Amino acid sequence: MKKQKRLLLLGDILGVAVTVIIFLIPFYFMFVQSIKSKAEANRLSISWPSEIHFENYLEVFSHANYQLVTAFKNSGILTLFTVLGLLLTAAMAGYVIQRRHDKIVGGIQAVIMLGLMIPAAILPTIHMLQSMHIYKTMFSMVMIEIALQTPFAVMLYRGYMASIPVELEEAARIDGCNRWQIFQKIIFPLLKPIQATLIILVGVQTFNDFTNPLYFLPGSENTTVQLTLYNYKGQLASSYNLLFADIIAITIPMLILFLIFNKRIVDGMVAGSVKG
Amino acid sequence: MKKKALSMVLAAALAVGMIPATVVMAEEEKPYEGVTLNVWAGNAEYNEGTIAVMEAATEKLGMEFQVEVNPGGTEGDNILKTRIASADLPDLMAYNSGSKLYDLNPSRAFLDISDWDIVEKFDDAFLSSVTIDGAIYGAPQSSTQAGAVIYYKPDYEELGLEVPHTWDEFVANCQALADAGKTPVYFTGGETWATQVLFLGDYYNIAAKNPTFADDYTNGTAKYASVPEATRSWTKYEDLVDFLNADKSAATVVDGNFALATGEATHWFILTQQLPLIIAEAENPDDIGVFGVPGDDADNHGLTVWEPMSWYVSKDSENVDAVKAFLDFYYTEEALDLYFGTYGANGPSCIKGYELPESVCSAVRVDMQKYFDDGKTVPALEYQSPIKGTTCEQMTTAVGLGQMSGEEAAAAYDDDCKKSAVQLGYDWE
Amino acid sequence: MKTKKEQSLYPLWFLFPSLIIFGIFFLWPIISSLYYSLTVWNFDTAKFCGLDNYKLFFSEKAMSSSVIHTLIYAFGTSGLKVILAFFIAIFLTSKIKTKNFIRSAVFFPNLVSMMAVGLTFSYMMHPTKGLLNVVIQALGGTPIDFLGNPSLALFSIIMTDVWKGLSISVVIYIAGIQSIDKTYYEAASIDGATGWQQLKHITLPLVAPSQNSIIILSLIGGLRSFDLIWSMTGGGPGFATDVLASVIYKQYAAGFYGLSTAGNVVMLIVISAIAFPLQHFLNKREEAIQ
Repeated sequence: MKKQKRLLLLGDILGVAVTVIIFLIPFYFMFVQSIKSKAEANRLSISWPSEIHFENYLEVFSHANYQLVTAFKNSGILTLFTVLGLLLTAAMAGYVIQRRHDKIVGGIQAVIMLGLMIPAAILPTIHMLQSMHIYKTMFSMVMIEIALQTPFAVMLYRGYMASIPVELEEAARIDGCNRWQIFQKIIFPLLKPIQATLIILVGVQTFNDFTNPLYFLPGSENTTVQLTLYNYKGQLASSYNLLFADIIAITIPMLILFLIFNKRIVDGMVAGSVKG
Repeated sequence: MKKKALSMVLAAALAVGMIPATVVMAEEEKPYEGVTLNVWAGNAEYNEGTIAVMEAATEKLGMEFQVEVNPGGTEGDNILKTRIASADLPDLMAYNSGSKLYDLNPSRAFLDISDWDIVEKFDDAFLSSVTIDGAIYGAPQSSTQAGAVIYYKPDYEELGLEVPHTWDEFVANCQALADAGKTPVYFTGGETWATQVLFLGDYYNIAAKNPTFADDYTNGTAKYASVPEATRSWTKYEDLVDFLNADKSAATVVDGNFALATGEATHWFILTQQLPLIIAEAENPDDIGVFGVPGDDADNHGLTVWEPMSWYVSKDSENVDAVKAFLDFYYTEEALDLYFGTYGANGPSCIKGYELPESVCSAVRVDMQKYFDDGKTVPALEYQSPIKGTTCEQMTTAVGLGQMSGEEAAAAYDDDCKKSAVQLGYDWE
Repeated sequence: MKTKKEQSLYPLWFLFPSLIIFGIFFLWPIISSLYYSLTVWNFDTAKFCGLDNYKLFFSEKAMSSSVIHTLIYAFGTSGLKVILAFFIAIFLTSKIKTKNFIRSAVFFPNLVSMMAVGLTFSYMMHPTKGLLNVVIQALGGTPIDFLGNPSLALFSIIMTDVWKGLSISVVIYIAGIQSIDKTYYEAASIDGATGWQQLKHITLPLVAPSQNSIIILSLIGGLRSFDLIWSMTGGGPGFATDVLASVIYKQYAAGFYGLSTAGNVVMLIVISAIAFPLQHFLNKREEAIQ
């Protein structure tokens, strides 16, 4: 027993040390650049700044008429609706695809898999949006994000669904539930762990998406957060200190989202395995 | 700080200069109050100078500006092309002149401004870069610039070097600098577009020996691998391999600004649009000089010139009057002084009869101006031929880093150009 | 029999919301773009040119090397992710006390955008002043040009990709491992199975569905990925890190829409030639295990 304890302690120490070196130092690097003066940040050293410039963050926020605030609002709305839409539609699809093994479903699965393989066709998409009169709307942007991430989400649900025993459904059926009720009351609640995972992965993906909003949601009033990086990075004007201050500012919402759901993943999983 | 003070002085000067104008328009003081112009520009064009001019225009004419900053580079091109295709353009946008404009097929997107008064002010070289089938589309955003060598003069003084007029003299200077423990040439492999400048800026020397090169190249008869001076543009990189900075593979253009401003490196083949940014970091603006890419003829040392980025007006703009008023203002002497006084100039202006303010660096007003006065300039190839290979910058980087020979690159680039030519509808068989 | 019962229990209309959105906003534009791959296309005019674009695409100088780079990149990143993530997930589902901290830290890179990661790592890999070389020099080594040396650059980007993308695989594994019924382990312990045996005979087979998702996702992701490459080297130095997707992107940027669409079709064929058989194989394996 004692030997095992010591082994665990060793594991803890080594694990933390390796993690800090590999995963946290780059973040420290970003942070110190963000509070340096322009000249010092351009040297790209990891040393602590000779003079702390927290006002870099103020400058980043007030730049171009508080563009960053608008960007936060837009990215927030986009992320929220994409996540909500995807959680429901992909869970339903993943459920049926995992449980049912006929040719139609196999074909549908193959088609959805295509989405993982090819990038979106930009111009034809814009033409289609225009003909439907929904180009440059948040609605169409949300739909595109959902469409692009459906394959990934369906796949995750499908993988997770395999661990939910069919027997639970049979029990519910004997209790008189219909097919929708089985999904809604039995299956959906059991999906919590994977949903917490999806909220983070899809949320981060959408919030950090750069190219799609650039093409499908143009206009200065529609700016999203990643686009603000271009204020500080370009062929002629580069300020690494402001660039990194912006990077950190737009990463913090995702960090908060992660900290909220980080714990839920664990809770949900424990609950899931107890019932399973 | 210095810049801010300067712009305030200029703004004051502007206010004084505006008095007669306000008297004329006494009845309708700010005719475009309440109009908002949507502007699309990269952060290179949307600089302090532009911001100052826009603020002055708001003050004087009333219109407000909402600027969308575009990512520039490849992404910027993609977005603009996509938005043209989907007929979704801002009122006013900044984009290249020359072959890149031609690529856009501007007649379906941009307004022909040939009957606007401002056009009278632009010089012919500029006009030809924005004229397609007799229609004029663009107005200069800034000044001309060159693809040239920017150099750190104190190193030249220290070692008693002369400005080289031939490539051999240039290489000899580099050797002397290397012997003195300096970094002779700065190379920015971390930002590939900038590595093309030696190749593109050497065009003066190709054209000097082969006056019809541009046409022959467009028709597919002149090749980089077969015209000796054109091959030379590629092999010049080989001569420099041993003279480059230690971090040549990763250095960026921002690093280059610092390196030249502080004398960390002596030469840099780069577009002179970097001058204002280098000067901003330099201790003494007169430390920075410019000369053209040297060829083999000491008596014919010239400069390859780029026309400025241009402002284009959307065909579908609902605010054409306000845009016109803004551009009318943009090319008044006050506004030009405000722009160049605040931001600086990349080269001599392309506005006829306009003289850059004293505050502009000597590299532009003396070094570059001399080539213009002597008539030893030639427009870059991109203003004379629509064909440019898509992997040019990758090849100049590879040759510059010594991963590919100049001859190999010249031949590979010919193949690459052929592909572009086919896509543009030329028959190169 | 089984299928019949399944058909009545799991209605197809559950798939409709996903299918409708996916079909309209993704699939239809792709299908209509197939036509353009057969044309010289510049927005206004699409001039039919048969298979010329395909011929031209294959004659691209960087073509064969970019296919090789694509395969190295895809198999390198997914292989590393599948293996490293498995052991990290095992480690993080053990009894160690700091697992929450470590798992969070492993996840952090995923919260940052690709562009930010690319920038940060290219600065840290800078040949003279980058952090990695500062450390190497302090330890007495000679500096390494991580991104400027053509034979190293691709691997440097692969390592960065793994750094950023590892956490997704870790999370999928953890979800799989934690949903394994604990009674299997208890039974195995009573039967005297060692930790290694439990890992091999219980954990490994039962995480197969999760593992399959990871393999497919990371391999396909690797085959079509280029945003990190684009932000770190732009395909360079020279052509050393050009992959299929970056070649296609450059053609798009040059305004050669027909050509780049043809490239997309080629990429689709290459990816599906790898992905579909692989998935078939993995599904078979998964069913065999259960």
